[in-house]
Formats: sequence, C-alpha cells, structure tokens
Amino acid sequence: MADTVARLAGTTSSRAQATSRRRGLTSWQDRLAGVIMGGPALIVFIAMFLIPMVLAVVLSFTDWNGYSLHFDFIGLDNYAKAFKNPRTIDAAAFTAVIAVAGTILCNGIGLGVAALIAGNGRGNTVLRTIFFYPYIISALIIGFLWSAILSPQGAINSLLTQFGVSPLPFLTDVTFAKVSVILTIVWSHFGFNMILYLAGIKSVPAEYYEAATVDGASRWQQFKSITVPLIAPVVTVNLVLTLVGLLKAYDIILALTDGGPAASTQTIVYQILRDSFAHANLGFGAAQSIVLLVVTAVIGLAVTFARRGADQKASES
Amino acid sequence: MTISTETTGPSIAGEVYLADVRRKPRRSGRRRGPGAASERTPLAVTVVKWVLLSLLALIMLVPMYILVISAFKPQADIVLHPLLITPDMFTFDYLWNAITSEKFNVVGAYGITLLFVALVNFFCIVLSAPVAYVIARGRTRWHVALLVVFVSGLFIPGQVTLIPVVFVLRVLGLINTIPGFILFETAATLPVTIFLFSAYLRTIPRDIDEAAALDGASRMRAFWSCIFPIMRPVVATIIVLNSIGVWNDFVSPQIILGPGSGIYTVTTGVYAAVGEYSTDYTVLFPTLLLAIAPAVVFFIIMQRHIIGGLAAGATKG
Repeated sequence: MADTVARLAGTTSSRAQATSRRRGLTSWQDRLAGVIMGGPALIVFIAMFLIPMVLAVVLSFTDWNGYSLHFDFIGLDNYAKAFKNPRTIDAAAFTAVIAVAGTILCNGIGLGVAALIAGNGRGNTVLRTIFFYPYIISALIIGFLWSAILSPQGAINSLLTQFGVSPLPFLTDVTFAKVSVILTIVWSHFGFNMILYLAGIKSVPAEYYEAATVDGASRWQQFKSITVPLIAPVVTVNLVLTLVGLLKAYDIILALTDGGPAASTQTIVYQILRDSFAHANLGFGAAQSIVLLVVTAVIGLAVTFARRGADQKASES
Repeated sequence: MTISTETTGPSIAGEVYLADVRRKPRRSGRRRGPGAASERTPLAVTVVKWVLLSLLALIMLVPMYILVISAFKPQADIVLHPLLITPDMFTFDYLWNAITSEKFNVVGAYGITLLFVALVNFFCIVLSAPVAYVIARGRTRWHVALLVVFVSGLFIPGQVTLIPVVFVLRVLGLINTIPGFILFETAATLPVTIFLFSAYLRTIPRDIDEAAALDGASRMRAFWSCIFPIMRPVVATIIVLNSIGVWNDFVSPQIILGPGSGIYTVTTGVYAAVGEYSTDYTVLFPTLLLAIAPAVVFFIIMQRHIIGGLAAGATKG
C-alpha cells in the first residue's frame, strides 16, 4: 500500500517536473502562485485570530475600558479579581453544571433516540426532522420562546391553573430557573447530537448486525456490544463538541432569564460580556476569557485523551 | 473482534428462538430483510418505543405550535387559552404591527442579514479554496504548518477573540461598520472551511492539475476552472454551515455593529424589539414568528443538505 503510494508520488512529481520544464516554468513562479493563493486568507487569519489572541493576553493585564486608546498595565490584578470575585465564581460553577448536565442529557437522549430511529422508514425520517429542527433556530429566539412559555402567566402555568394546580416558579425561583435553563438547552441541542450519532450508526457495516441476529443477540445486546464500541469516535466528537459548546452558553440565557433570578443563572460568558461592555472593563473581561480559553482547551484535550483507548479499539475492528 | 465473546453464549438458545420466528413471517407472507430484527421484538417493546418517541415529538412540536398560533391572538387569549385558536380570536393585527414596527424593521433585517450571509459565504470561499488547494497539493512541511495554524483557530472560542477584535477593528477604523463585521465573520469561518476543503482536495487526483497545466493554464486558472467545480459537495456543506451560523449569530453583530450603528440583523433586531417588552406577548410572538419564518422555510427546502452537511462538517472536524 505505502509502497504504491510512494511510487505514485514519485511518478507524479517527475511528471510534474517534466511539465514545468516543458513550459519553461521555474519553481519561484510556482511559489509565487502559492503565495498569491494563500496570502489573503493568511492575512485575514492573522488579523482576526493571531493578533487578537496575543492582544487578549496583553489586554488582560490592563484596565482598558474599550473605547479610549489609552490604558495602564495593572499586572495580574484582573486574574486575582477573577478568582476572588464571588460573581465570577458563581457563574463558573453554574457554567460547569450546565456543561456536565447538558452533555450527559444531550448525548444520552441523542444516542438513545438515534438508535431507535436509525431505520430508513418514513416515520423515522419525519421524527428526525422534528427532533432536529430547533438546532437551526437562533438560541436567542429559543430563549425568548421558552421564556414566554415558562413565565408566571405563560402557557404551562396557565394550563396548570386551569387544571386546579398552583403555578410553578419556572423562571422566578433559583433552583427552578437553573433546571429550566438546562432543559431548554437540552431541548434545542440534543437533535444535533442525534444527527451525528445517526451518521455514526449508519456507517457500521450491516453484516455485523446480521451476524449478531443470527447468533440470537437481542437489540439491546447489539446496541451495547456492536453500535457503542464501533461508533466510539463519534461519541468522542459529540462529547467534546457539547462540552466545549455549553461552556460558551450565553444567547439562550440572555433571552430566557437574563441571568436572573438574583444572578443565579449567569454563565461565564455572560460575565465576560457584561464586564467587558456594559461595565466598560475589557481588561477584566479579557482576563476571564483567557481563563475560559485555557479551561476549554484542557477539557477538550482531557476528553480526547480519556477516550483514546475506545477510539483506537473502534478503528482496529 | 470484541463482540465474539459476548455473542457465543446465547447463540444456541438464540438459534432455536430464531428458527421459530423464521417460519412465522414466511407464513404471513411478510418480507424479511433489514427489518428482520424488529420483527423479533415483542409487541410491548414496540408500543413503548413509539409511545416514548411520540411523547418526545410532542414536546418538540408544542412550543412551535404555541409560537405560531399565538402570533394571531390578542394578549388575553394567549394567556387564557394557550393551546387553542378559534375564528373569533384570530387576527392579523399584531403580525401587521410587528411587520410595520419601528423598533424592528423586518424587511430591512431580512435584507441586511441575507446580504451578510451572501458576503460571508463569498469571501469565505474565495479566501479558503485557493489556500486549501495550496495546502492539499503542497509537499513541504511549511504546508503542514500552514494547515496547523489555520486549524488551531478551531479551538479558539469566538468570545475570547471578540474583545481584542474590537480593539483591532477600532485601530483599523472598522468598528460599527459592515466591512468590519464581514471581516470578523469571514475570519471565523476560515478554520473549518480550510480544514474541510483541504481534506476534500486530497481526494481529487493530481492528474487533473497536470492535464490543465499541459493545456497551458496557470496554477490559479487551473484551480478555479478545473478543480473548483469538482468541489461542489464540500462547498455546499460549507455554505450550509456558514449560512446557519451567520443568520443565527447574535453576539458578534451586537458587539461589532453595536446599537449605535443602526444596523440590525434578525437576531439583534429581535433583541431590540422584544428585549424589554417580553411580557407583551402580542409583540413577542409575532416578532419571533417573523424571525424564524425564513430559517424554517430554508430548513424545509434544504433539509437533506443541512443534516448531511452538519454531520459531515462535525465528524470530519
């Protein structure tokens, strides 16, 4: 295999050399073409990713307010503040709860539903659409919709009252509000996980299931012993994407609870944006976002590392 | 294979069971095949499965149903009869109010957002495709390094770069302007796009490049007229991903364009229109309906591509 590739590469490159010699092309012309084709994207990337990344680190040591071009360096004060500020700590704790609970629920429901509707029937196709559609709607709008349904005079409480049950404080009680936020996120997000799991399940060769059926394995045994181990890489991708995505939860909370009641549903990104812009303290916001970046990277790498064994097994079989 | 140990145990019992079932479908004249396993599942399990799936489908659909019918009802009826709509409560007044609202100019917001979607898609593809081609065809470690640099952008959350990007755009004089916003949004799409494009281009044989070169086409020309047309499937995936991303983005337009610029996308327009009035349902529901209508229509028409594109984008990324 590798031998063939090497041979192919050898012949193509010698052929390419022959062509360029015939056309009188020198390698600097080829290189110039490469620079012209790659340069613009690289410049945009440097301007909007690399320079801002370096700036984020620099700004996190300053008291920049966001509009003036003047600021002072204040050392590690912003970081010290971030780790001492009770608001930031509460927000970080709730963000962690969202990320963990949300990841478990989104992936549990997403994988379960995917396994149930993996067939090609018409009913399954319709269900797939129904479970997935909230994903294409902006999180902000999902938040507003559920805030209207869960509010004190919203649809659910109106129905509860009509059935003689006292209304529930979905968005006005601290614990209820936290649960409401997490369930709304799960409602809008598990369909995306389901789609990825469906793609994974469909890539498992049908012969495996046929063989297992002949051997008398039940559907549950097949799911546990064939599907889950073979789609291990898809599980890893799902876990990383959901965890990292939920650490950034913001839009949906802004619309659903606006961080309330009593600041109980504020997330870390909510804090970052509020401190940076409403409170005109971009230096402090930058420090918190650097912490978020490090935490995100560590979690992403940790999950990938922890799943390495399962991923390898899947690619070997 | 990992499954063999699990399946040898129950195989004898299973064969007996299977032999019993095999006769049944033949007698009843039902087709066997992929559905063979489901024919073995007891009726009770099937019933539970469909009851669960139907319940979940209901939970997914009822909020959308409430959103649609409430857009055509007065406040009192929305609160008292959340699930009903009768001819005597039906009215177009509130929808019309939302369309003509001075706070949220829907037609303007649709136009601006569509323009942003088109521009980001255009610049994203024009910038990414050539650089992905250079990376895919390159043989030196510089090309690998280039890919690593771009792909590293995948791990940087938008919220982290957003704060310093405000600084960069302020220095460039592009803050609160459309070019500034397009620049940031386009840059945000580069990592995924370049990654998917170069992975796809590696599967396209070099022979096509050489044939074009023999015909005397320059490298640039060869790429745009011979290679790029073959990239249609992956370009479609990227357009789907970008369009959903830009249409639903809230934080970047809110911060880069800012309320001061007077430019509202659909999401920032909704926020401006209902942010403070979220208890007035006759404003909230019609506005939300207007905001989601184009996205839902786009989803219904492009469903297959959207779901396929997301699955491809995420599992390869």
